[in-house]
Amino acid sequence: MSTVEEASSSLGGGRVGDEAPTLFLRKATGLVRGWSVRDSIIYACLSTNVVTLGIVEMSYNSFIPRGQLLTSILISGVWVSFLVITYAGLIVTIPRAGGDYVWQSRILAGPLGFVMATTGWWFILWLWAPIYGAVLNEELFQPLLVTLGHPGAASFFGSHNGDFVVCLITIALAGFLVSLGMNGYAKVQKWCFAGGLFGFIVVLALLLFSSHGDFVNAVNTYGKALFHTNHAFAATNAAAKTDGYASPSFSLGPLGPSMLLIPFMMFYLLWPNWGSTLYGEVRGASDFKRVFTGMFTGLWLTVLLSVAFLFLVAKTIGYGFYNNANAVWWTSYYAVPKAATPAMSIWPYPVMLASWLVHNRAFQVILILVMALWFIAWVGTLFLSSTRVIFAAAFDRVLPDAAATVSEKRKVPMASLVLMLLPAVGLSAVYSYSLQFQTYTLDATLVIAVTYLFSAIAALILPWRKPDLWAASPASKMKLLGVPIVPVAAFVTIGLLGFNIYEWLSNSTYGVNNHKSLVFMACLYAAAIILYVVARLVRKRQGIDLGLINREIPVE
Amino acid sequence: MKIFFATDIHGSEVCWRKFLNSAAFYKADLVILGGDVTGKIMVPIVNHGTYWQVVLSGETHRLETEAELEKIETQIRNRGYYPTRVSPDELAALNEEDGSIDRRFTVEMISTLDRWLDMADSKLRGGEIPCIVNGGNDDTFDIDAVVEASPCVTFAEGKLVDLEGFSLVSMGYTNPTPWDTFREAPEEDLVKRIDNVVNQIPDMGRAIFNFHAPPFGTGLDDAPALDENLRPMHGGVVMKAVGSTAVRDAILKHQPMLSIHGHIHESRGIKKMGRTLAMNPGSVYGDGVLQGAVIDLNLKKGKVDRYILVNG
Repeated sequence: MSTVEEASSSLGGGRVGDEAPTLFLRKATGLVRGWSVRDSIIYACLSTNVVTLGIVEMSYNSFIPRGQLLTSILISGVWVSFLVITYAGLIVTIPRAGGDYVWQSRILAGPLGFVMATTGWWFILWLWAPIYGAVLNEELFQPLLVTLGHPGAASFFGSHNGDFVVCLITIALAGFLVSLGMNGYAKVQKWCFAGGLFGFIVVLALLLFSSHGDFVNAVNTYGKALFHTNHAFAATNAAAKTDGYASPSFSLGPLGPSMLLIPFMMFYLLWPNWGSTLYGEVRGASDFKRVFTGMFTGLWLTVLLSVAFLFLVAKTIGYGFYNNANAVWWTSYYAVPKAATPAMSIWPYPVMLASWLVHNRAFQVILILVMALWFIAWVGTLFLSSTRVIFAAAFDRVLPDAAATVSEKRKVPMASLVLMLLPAVGLSAVYSYSLQFQTYTLDATLVIAVTYLFSAIAALILPWRKPDLWAASPASKMKLLGVPIVPVAAFVTIGLLGFNIYEWLSNSTYGVNNHKSLVFMACLYAAAIILYVVARLVRKRQGIDLGLINREIPVE
Repeated sequence: MKIFFATDIHGSEVCWRKFLNSAAFYKADLVILGGDVTGKIMVPIVNHGTYWQVVLSGETHRLETEAELEKIETQIRNRGYYPTRVSPDELAALNEEDGSIDRRFTVEMISTLDRWLDMADSKLRGGEIPCIVNGGNDDTFDIDAVVEASPCVTFAEGKLVDLEGFSLVSMGYTNPTPWDTFREAPEEDLVKRIDNVVNQIPDMGRAIFNFHAPPFGTGLDDAPALDENLRPMHGGVVMKAVGSTAVRDAILKHQPMLSIHGHIHESRGIKKMGRTLAMNPGSVYGDGVLQGAVIDLNLKKGKVDRYILVNG
């Protein structure tokens, strides 16, 4: 089986073209149909995960007090659409496994591709492990235990030890799902997506068909029952006032502060291309529109779900209460001096709040469990991308051959899993026990954004760096007013990533630009560079020139 | 001895040219092309009297001069396609007559291969640099005689070739694929074919298996899993081992020093199978990049000293 080429409906050999044939195929391996666009929409939608990433990040609205989530999300959606065009262009031009690593190595330089792929697709995913753990804690363990009437157990999961335990559970779960193999996990993902989407629609329906009065009553009822707080609704608003926070009303403006929310929104909207290394394994990706449609539709499905969620929050929960509850929680969580005590002792997970609109504990528990499917659907990918990068580096002789070892019996990539799991456990411990380290959460987005930035640069200069490759690419045929859209989109994408990187590094609001955070990220890049240099020296001593890997053989 | 191994160039002229230059580029003593040499797609360029017309990647090109025509033919060849100049009547005949497409394919394939072998003669200094080519499952049997006739290229299909003390045995046949291609055989037949050539090897410690099909379940044979309509399953993320059990068993049984494979373009990789170093350099011929392996062999110790997979 060689190449997947979306060329013909007659796969065993024949002609292509409605009237006069424009090409002929002969009987040959690999002439297969393109994969289902519906599948790629699901992957793009899951990777821009509105529940596990989106709802969490929306809760940081109070960090930019005048910012409007709605405006920020819509602008982000439009801006990230250019990233989708850029990546679609790269995927159809060099469609293979390896993604950013291959594109940057081929178009820019081999060592740069290695450093960017290692940091963006391997090292920084160690940090994503505790981040995913924190999400699992906030969206499953704590709300579930509180709903089941075990506030003591819930408070354990709110402790440092509890955080660490959930991180370990997350890592074990991700490792287990990878060990299932993609065949098993892909089925799990689809069922989880269907179930999770159903749960989300139920949440939206609850908010749609309930009144604000219903919600106030529910908060007061369950605030008292579960958190022993009288008049929890009013208490939350009062606590926000004590903290000096005043939520804006729900609207589209103002633009400036809403732009400053974009670096938060990138935490979930920057990943519609996450599966691009996976698409790359399919040569059918030579259809630009197909690739673009999958990622674009997945992205905008997430944006639309977010917008619907926000409108219904504003209608039923009340935008003021929503922001106040989040503001009070994070102010208290990050131990801001003189912070008010939250009326609810766990993060005000909107799904839990919505579940209170139905006065039935079983329903509340089921809804929280169903929404956890969003987590299960995506957590396996945490290590999947990393194992691919580790394999690629081992085949390029940068890592020892043993790094690509696969167990004979279960076909599990043991060595690469260990290279992911052990550092992830270490970082999880640091993350769980250091409140300051938790403010580095957006480092995880920043480092990948830097990797994307270099891929966008590669896409921008592709027509000049590799003119033959570009001319042969379907991407070069995609034009608007005679201008190829991919380099233009790459330019806009560089603007998007440049803006975000600048804000993350210059604005202390995002918790990224403090000294230790910068040292942490610098260490990742230094480790990747050292790894490459050491490998190059060691291999040179063995008589192997790693510089040969991407050196092009002359044609003439 | 340093060898350069590449495979699955599928008619890409730019890859063939690079292959011919690979010996000088990597300072290799010998170059091997492991099958699937010929292309899969033919692009008609239609003569409309005062101009020619061709559709490439969905874009229609109107060509007024011979220079324009040659330029687009070069682009087509570099992608691994065969340009074929036709009149509207010939195009209609290709479209309607049974077997006409296959006949035209054969003509274009053979003429291209002839031209390629002429190039090889000059690039390989008239055979001074040994060059070994064997068939792959996608290569029709028409190519065998053409390559056999070349003075500077050794056609190794089904043979043992002595390489200054190393024994190279080659087989382009693969286990069955969903496309029912030319050199396919059931696993039982592959066992016999492998035995026929392997039994001629005098010293397995200095043997090289050059089998187009990779060994089953080794990570060198992972291709997208397909449904019954030949559509990749689950968005193409699910891979499936599709290699040959006969090849796997032969490697495990005979333990040659080196085993080189192709066939599955996506499965670039290296696998240690007992004493044997097995590898598949993969293929991205459509990008005009020649993936390959540069391998240093130690005759005295009968082992692979060094190797690296390259994207040339």
